[in-house]
Amino acid sequence: MIDHVTEVIPGVSAEGYKNLPEDEWYFPIHFPNNPNVPGVLQLEALAQMLTVAITTLPGNKGKITHALSHQVRFRKEVLPKKKFIIKTRVNSWKRGICDGFGQGIVDGEVACEANMKITIPEILEKYLPKK
Amino acid sequence: MDNKSKYNKVFIECFSVKEKILSKDLKYNSIPQWDSVGHMSMIAALEESFDITLEMDDIIDFSSYNVGKKILKKYKIEIN
Repeated sequence: MIDHVTEVIPGVSAEGYKNLPEDEWYFPIHFPNNPNVPGVLQLEALAQMLTVAITTLPGNKGKITHALSHQVRFRKEVLPKKKFIIKTRVNSWKRGICDGFGQGIVDGEVACEANMKITIPEILEKYLPKK
Repeated sequence: MDNKSKYNKVFIECFSVKEKILSKDLKYNSIPQWDSVGHMSMIAALEESFDITLEMDDIIDFSSYNVGKKILKKYKIEIN
């Protein structure tokens, strides 16, 4: 759900965008006569961008990430032919867990925003008690 | 607030449990809330509450409510 990453400060923030041409696969079905980007895909875009901020840290390149919990607020419909700007920041990164925040912006207005928690399981598991 | 109250408060708030559940039987994965993410949240809360940084081995060894008390002794925190 990302076309381009325009700026990354590893461990701090990542920004970029996704263009939304009319022929995106979901527009015909979400919804007929009222196409707009599904909220779950907006959230996915934010989560993927937050992942960029973490996987660009030394030693994290190529590591698999998982979502832990997201709390999202949708503020406006995101329509075809728009540019969906994605901005994320890392609030904390510790022991394989990233707490972060992201916004999806269209035409200068916030379309959605989310508090997100993601993990790199390979790192997290090193800190867990053995069963 | 004494150390035991601070210690208990971390468990109560991180795992959303009543104080009566805090016993030798409270262990990693013994309740749904004390999973991998809960473990890291609880460790972070302890570090903030007691102004310490736990070593990696201690985080791994922190497998129960009672074991945690022994581990904190290493950091000069007595919980009676």
